[in-house]
Amino acid sequence: MNGVRSHVLVCAGAGCVASGALEVSAAFQSALAKHGLENEISVIETGCLGPCAAGPVAVVYPEGIFYQKLTPVDAEDIVAEHLLKGRIVERLNYRKAGTEKAISALQEIGFFEKQRKVVLRNCGVIDPTRIEEYIARDGYQALAKALTEMTPESVIDEIKKSGLRGRGGAGFPTGLKWEFTRKAKGDKKYVLCNADEGDPGAFMDRSVLEGDPHSVIEAMAIAAYAIGSDQGYVYVRAEYPLAVERLTNAIGQARECGLLGKNIMGTGFDFDLEIRMGSGAFVCGEETALMRSIEGKRGEPRPRPPFPANQGLWEKPSLLNNVETYANIATIILRGSAWFASMGTEKSKGTKVFALAGAVTNTGLVEVPIGTPLGEIVYDIGGGIPQGKAFKAAQIGGPSGGCIPKEHLNVPVDYESLQALGAIMGSGGLIVMDEDTCMVDMARFFLEFVQDESCGKCVPCRVGTKRMLEIVTRICEGAGEEADIDRLIALGEQIRDSSLCGLGQTAPNPVLSTIRHFRDEYEAHIREKRCPAGVCPALVRAPCISACPANVNIPGFVSLIGEERYAEALRLHRNRNPFASVCARVCFHTCENKCRRGGLDQPLAIRGLKRFMVEQEVTLQVPEVVDSPENAKRKIAIIGAGPAGLSCAFFLARLGYQPKVFEAEPRPGGMLVQTIPAYRLPREELAREIRMIERMGVDIETNTRLGRDFTLKSLRDDGCEAVFLGVGAPDGLGLRIPGRDARGVTEAIRFLREYNLRGSVPVGKNVVVIGGGNAAVDAARTAVRLGAESVTILYRRTRDEMPAYKEEVEEAEHEGVHLRTLVAPVEVVVEGGRCVGVKCTNMFLGEFDRSGRRRPEAGDDEPFIVEADQVIAAIGQTLDLKQVLDGTEVKLTPWNFVAADRLSGQTSVPWLFAGGDAASGPASVVEAVGAGERAAVGIDEYLTGENHAFWREPIEVDTAFDPDADPVDYPRAEMKLLPINKRRANFNEVELPYSEKVALCEAKRCLRCDYREREE
Amino acid sequence: MANKIKSPKDLLKLKEKVQAELELRKGVKEIQITVHMGTCGIAAGARDVLGTLARELESAAIGNVTLRQSGCAGLCDREPMLTLTDKNGEQFRYGNLDGKKVHRIVQEHVVGGTPIVELMLTD
Repeated sequence: MNGVRSHVLVCAGAGCVASGALEVSAAFQSALAKHGLENEISVIETGCLGPCAAGPVAVVYPEGIFYQKLTPVDAEDIVAEHLLKGRIVERLNYRKAGTEKAISALQEIGFFEKQRKVVLRNCGVIDPTRIEEYIARDGYQALAKALTEMTPESVIDEIKKSGLRGRGGAGFPTGLKWEFTRKAKGDKKYVLCNADEGDPGAFMDRSVLEGDPHSVIEAMAIAAYAIGSDQGYVYVRAEYPLAVERLTNAIGQARECGLLGKNIMGTGFDFDLEIRMGSGAFVCGEETALMRSIEGKRGEPRPRPPFPANQGLWEKPSLLNNVETYANIATIILRGSAWFASMGTEKSKGTKVFALAGAVTNTGLVEVPIGTPLGEIVYDIGGGIPQGKAFKAAQIGGPSGGCIPKEHLNVPVDYESLQALGAIMGSGGLIVMDEDTCMVDMARFFLEFVQDESCGKCVPCRVGTKRMLEIVTRICEGAGEEADIDRLIALGEQIRDSSLCGLGQTAPNPVLSTIRHFRDEYEAHIREKRCPAGVCPALVRAPCISACPANVNIPGFVSLIGEERYAEALRLHRNRNPFASVCARVCFHTCENKCRRGGLDQPLAIRGLKRFMVEQEVTLQVPEVVDSPENAKRKIAIIGAGPAGLSCAFFLARLGYQPKVFEAEPRPGGMLVQTIPAYRLPREELAREIRMIERMGVDIETNTRLGRDFTLKSLRDDGCEAVFLGVGAPDGLGLRIPGRDARGVTEAIRFLREYNLRGSVPVGKNVVVIGGGNAAVDAARTAVRLGAESVTILYRRTRDEMPAYKEEVEEAEHEGVHLRTLVAPVEVVVEGGRCVGVKCTNMFLGEFDRSGRRRPEAGDDEPFIVEADQVIAAIGQTLDLKQVLDGTEVKLTPWNFVAADRLSGQTSVPWLFAGGDAASGPASVVEAVGAGERAAVGIDEYLTGENHAFWREPIEVDTAFDPDADPVDYPRAEMKLLPINKRRANFNEVELPYSEKVALCEAKRCLRCDYREREE
Repeated sequence: MANKIKSPKDLLKLKEKVQAELELRKGVKEIQITVHMGTCGIAAGARDVLGTLARELESAAIGNVTLRQSGCAGLCDREPMLTLTDKNGEQFRYGNLDGKKVHRIVQEHVVGGTPIVELMLTD
């Protein structure tokens, strides 16, 4: 090397090669030649660097600058800019999700920073095709040390003391395995390497073979010395051609150098190695099947004992370890067992490589000390979940493993802790799943895999997994039966206990573990015929419809808007949700979160389109109503004129009932009128939809309070046959810190209700709002409009975790509200009986809590005071059930709300139904609408014994759609807002509707997931 | 391809021989020499300076220096130019370089530890 000043390491792992790394490498070479730099700068093709999804990747040394997603053109830029002129090409650097700032240095990227590379020590650092580079990094020194300074027994002792356990999955202590094989009687012994990596998504063994093949060769030679063997075999699957090529090359080089063969390094030790290729049967990863396959026989397991340590390959004592296990050996011998044992947990030492895949920002290979909390792997290394979605679970250990839900993000990833949760370490496949994954469908996928891969030798595995697959499949198709869950558990446990080999014994794990952690999802499929994640095709017409708690036919009304058929669109909407205009303003639109268009660019602006639609309403569009003189005679009472109660009344009215609604406050609407400010929901819009419901034959009596003006018993005495309880969660929780009783301290619901119903409320000069939900933001923005000089929201977690809608938080800030996150109030400072400030402490994010979020913990910083003459607590809502139930014995939820059946709203008292916040706890408007609808159907069924919900029949819209056309390519239309200075001092509506032109274009962005080929 | 390794000693010898090749990948060293490679620098011969530097460092078997490039330092008439940052983080700027001067800088400043005042840029 004549004055080489820089190395460009191009990742040539199979992942990067597949995305074009070799072309990039060639482009580097030719660009260097073009600039005459070929003698100053070397290009080296290395093994896997880890971040496979960002490939092709390259690192430029000596600076250690990381470049990603490279094309041949980019390579030319890097040569012309960075290598020639020293200017880092920032556009090709890594960017942390959500930030624009480029991070240039490899070591500063979170993905690399938190890793500890032992197994992958050479991957991405050396050229795997040159034995010299391996030797330069202490390669074969461990073998030399073992052969010249250690006895076989002391080698085994060192491995035992290191605490290394098998990385193939089961975690058997490696040193013990070596000792058993050494002690086994026999003249001929074999050293085997299991490189039959077969778990979907796991590729750490392949990467080691591709990126550092000599580490495996050296370790196998050491193992051979330790157990007294002279022949080894690597069993690798034929689907890994690059691994086979690099390993073959490495074995050839090692032989040429005399590091394999006779009399290695003059010590008299003989060892040679051969490759055996398998054709990729999953069962051949099982040790006895693997050995039979090497022998050239059909790869089927046999019962153990005898164990391979005594009778293995060709009935000779054989030592089988996994690739990753071997990759640890040389470092243990060189650096000592104590060093190795210093990493990891008490029972699991060292590091583990994981193939991080699925719904995570940085996918690829990561190596961490065993015992690292799962949350750190997912969030700090993996960079969290893309598109702001929520973490749902991680599947660890592939088809033999299980899932870990968000409640356990803190679990240290080690053999024992994972097992306690029903998962296994396995070979290290780690698939992250977000809210869009259906756990039943996921279990079905893995079951299908093991069913395909079952060798068929033993009945439990061959037939049992087939039966399980049939059951899970019918659950996914909406044909599940009530007893299916128990059948799956019983069958799964039998298969686990009676199968011949590991494949069958672990095959039921994905099903058993998803039932354990996500039983409610199975139940939703079976009982409600609903797939909560919006995945299973038979249950999901379109993800938006399935995500809507009221099941509004969204693609239907959107496509009708697209054809300017606004009245029809509205009727279609009101067929499932009477509050089209209300929801056009305040809905939290889970439909948009699930919109498939979001995967393309941004989700369809469903709420914006709805707003445009309701603006077009001239005469009230009432959907179909059935007359029924019989039903009209029956007495039904609805308590609470909020969205739940009014929806229940609306759907009952459509069946011909004429229910009576009792409302405690002077105006109907519940939280819609009492707390949601008029700048979000103009009162006339709400009043119009309530009038519609009244015209359908619903009588609303205001100023009539349950417990004061009437009781449940008095309703029954008056002849009410059914009662719907939709009283909400109307009481705001108060502060529980010193000073809470001072003048000037209030609570958000009371504050908002007073203003919205009475028209005025005292507002301070410096207002502090405590909390991060919608009530907090509503209170803050209301205070701004009522003339507060400064308004500050204090929230103890981070901004991302605020339950309030993002748009609302942003607009609050635009209007001048200060947002202080990661602070917790500890005391209201009082002077002369009046509050003058809030004493706060800074919080920092600690471990993951059961909600899957990092728990805020108090720091050691000095508390500080935020000045305030008014403090508004917005920390939650509740319901005083004692007052409303008045002695009626009703079953409650653990959170002290009314327990109601999910499907019918029926409570433990047959004539009493409940829904909305009173049953679910504080939730959203559209959830209340859905609950009201279900209760209406439940009440009808209770009274008549039949289900008459005609609106639930699927409705085909006859709008035009060409399934072969490309989707339109323009971005989402954003809604215009009233300028800040025109809204800060009044309650005018902030959002402005689309123009017709914009709306028609936006409607065309819908991908029409609901479209099905019409049967001729 | 390497020669046959007949003993652990052979292995060590080979390791020492090839180790230097991989030094670059260990990151930035305690002394850094930055050659200014703006268009002006390149036009004035910075490429040759960089090449000479790399060869000089290698033939002097110096392991604690990282060679870097950067853009124009703003003194285009003094190009080719380099900035040497020593162990203590102190910076020395040399201008109007040629092969001879580079040789002296490596020998006297890098190896000898004595900055060459007369070659340094002054205000």
